[in-house]
Amino acid sequence: MLEIKNLHVSLEEEDKQIIKGLDLTINAGEVNAIMGPNGSGKSTLSYVLAGRPGYEVTEGSITYKGQDLLEMEIDERAAAGVFLAFQYPIEIPGVATMQFLKVALNAQRKARGEGEMTTPDFMRLVRGKAEQLNVTTDMLKRPVNVGFSGGEKKRAEILQMAVLEPGLCVLDETDSGLDIDALRVVAEGVNALRSPDRGMLVITHYQRLLDYIVPDRVHVMSDGKIVKSGGKELALELEKDGYAAFAA
Amino acid sequence: MTVTLVKTPAETAYTDAFDPQGALADVRKSAFAQFAATGLPHRRMEDWKWTDLRQLMSSPLPPVSGTTASADTIDALISASPFGDVARARMVFVDGVYDADRSSLPATGDMEFASLGSDDLPDWVSDKLVAGSTDPIAALNLAYMSDGAGLRVKAGSGMDAPIELLFVTTAEQAATYTTRNVIVLEEGSSATLIETHIGGTGEYVHNAVTQLHIADNARLDRVKVQEEGLEAIHLSNTDVHLAESAHLKDFTLTIGGRATRQQGFINFAGEHAEGHVSGAFLLTGKQHNDTRLVIDHAVPNCLSRELFKCVMDEAARGVFQGKAIVRRDAQKTDGNQSSHALLLSDEAEFDAKPELEIYADDVVCGHGATSGDLDENQMFYLRARGITETEAKSMLIGAFAAEAFDDVESDAIREVLGGLAEGWLARRKAG
Repeated sequence: MLEIKNLHVSLEEEDKQIIKGLDLTINAGEVNAIMGPNGSGKSTLSYVLAGRPGYEVTEGSITYKGQDLLEMEIDERAAAGVFLAFQYPIEIPGVATMQFLKVALNAQRKARGEGEMTTPDFMRLVRGKAEQLNVTTDMLKRPVNVGFSGGEKKRAEILQMAVLEPGLCVLDETDSGLDIDALRVVAEGVNALRSPDRGMLVITHYQRLLDYIVPDRVHVMSDGKIVKSGGKELALELEKDGYAAFAA
Repeated sequence: MTVTLVKTPAETAYTDAFDPQGALADVRKSAFAQFAATGLPHRRMEDWKWTDLRQLMSSPLPPVSGTTASADTIDALISASPFGDVARARMVFVDGVYDADRSSLPATGDMEFASLGSDDLPDWVSDKLVAGSTDPIAALNLAYMSDGAGLRVKAGSGMDAPIELLFVTTAEQAATYTTRNVIVLEEGSSATLIETHIGGTGEYVHNAVTQLHIADNARLDRVKVQEEGLEAIHLSNTDVHLAESAHLKDFTLTIGGRATRQQGFINFAGEHAEGHVSGAFLLTGKQHNDTRLVIDHAVPNCLSRELFKCVMDEAARGVFQGKAIVRRDAQKTDGNQSSHALLLSDEAEFDAKPELEIYADDVVCGHGATSGDLDENQMFYLRARGITETEAKSMLIGAFAAEAFDDVESDAIREVLGGLAEGWLARRKAG
């Protein structure tokens, strides 16, 4: 589903290389976890997948379902099914969450040549999913992420993911800032989206999240590369021994 | 050394046309003398440094009133008012003259309407037509005012269904149209007033004054929408007198006009009064909007709020000058003003000039101004959800401007304002 080959990424503004030859394959139906110390390039990888400006791919390729992802605009990637759950979701004053979700869903449907969803159908869809994630009607009426607590922001991210039904879910440090109860709700939401035709990339610093979202594969990232890959037991090893062994 | 004031062609046209008649002749003469003392404001006058009328009005635009346009042209402009379904009463003015046939006034004893072009003005209007404004454009208005709305809401009456004053300028003549409204809210009354300005394509000047006299415990919600033609110069003055516990909410949306200079003078004359003045500009091309407010706190315990959201695209220019005076007796004044600009192009420009003159010691007053372009992180977030770049920009611009609409009480009017902003954004996308 996703194939990253020999990826090299630099920051546009300060000629600094962050990702230095990364290879990664994610198959449909798999949950892959990337773990690594701060500064190893984990978040950069998630931004490059989503197409955030400011990063320059100097070498390598990323293909998603056979398409050259790097040639696609940010919104084209989203419409093709790539979803990034942000570590720090952005606040958008003046745009109600419900309206934002509706515009986003219909924009994606339009890009894929599907018809717009009617308002009643859309409301039903969102209400059902919101309830599972403990997202209140009040939150849906409020401007996107404005005044949301840390937990509310992350639940809202997962709600967006559930409504948009992407093919590839990239979760960037979704556990940061969450207490254990909030973590459980978020993880349940993510697990509900596991499916044979969906790939997931869970980026995290700590093993804790992986107790709830159990990965099929775990990769260790250090200094811009994957330095070790293994099964879910690799996460436990890291928890025990730390990242010191992988320091650059 | 003698200094000879060289009159511009526009000033000469104003002087040559001056021939006051009727009951207001003396008032008009004093007003014209006030105008003549300075002539058209220009950039060497501090308050006008961003809007040089001597330069902007480069050709003679003689004062006229009355239309030469066809009924179809007039009706098309009238139907362009976005408030057709919202207003419950309407006074229509075409090229500076009241059009009774196209107006619809309710038969009610709670309020009284007058046309200021009438020879026989009621006292509650004529008492308010007094020369003495220090502003040359307001003085010029009184000298040449051809018509306008008089509205008196009687003591204790509540008239919350919106009343629209619709000013249509056909632009068939390169001329100056001069209108003035006198709005009187007696004690304990309330009203919702819409002032709409719509114009055709062609050069003209509309000099518009609105006087708002709000008595004790009275409450006025006023919304002004300015969609003059894109070659027009819109000069406006709003003069407000707030008595004890009077309450004003005033919102202006500016979309039209080649150049707009709008001034608001808010005078607090009674304690515990509140004045909320807000607005949004949506400007493009080479449009120019200079908004100047002077908030005069002369008495204690009053509250004033100003919020302006200004969107400038292409080579548009916005100016916000907010002056607050808190006089020595005006203790416990609570005043705050802010202006925020969104610049959508490198050529767009915004200038903000806050001025606080505070002579009382126990007050809370503040001001703030920001200016910037669209937030990159917000753009990325919206696009990462599949929203196209154009649509994402529209959403963020719309959200930015809408913050100023929140102050408008009426849901129906707020919806119309939202629709006008959406229309502007859609034209921007298409262009």
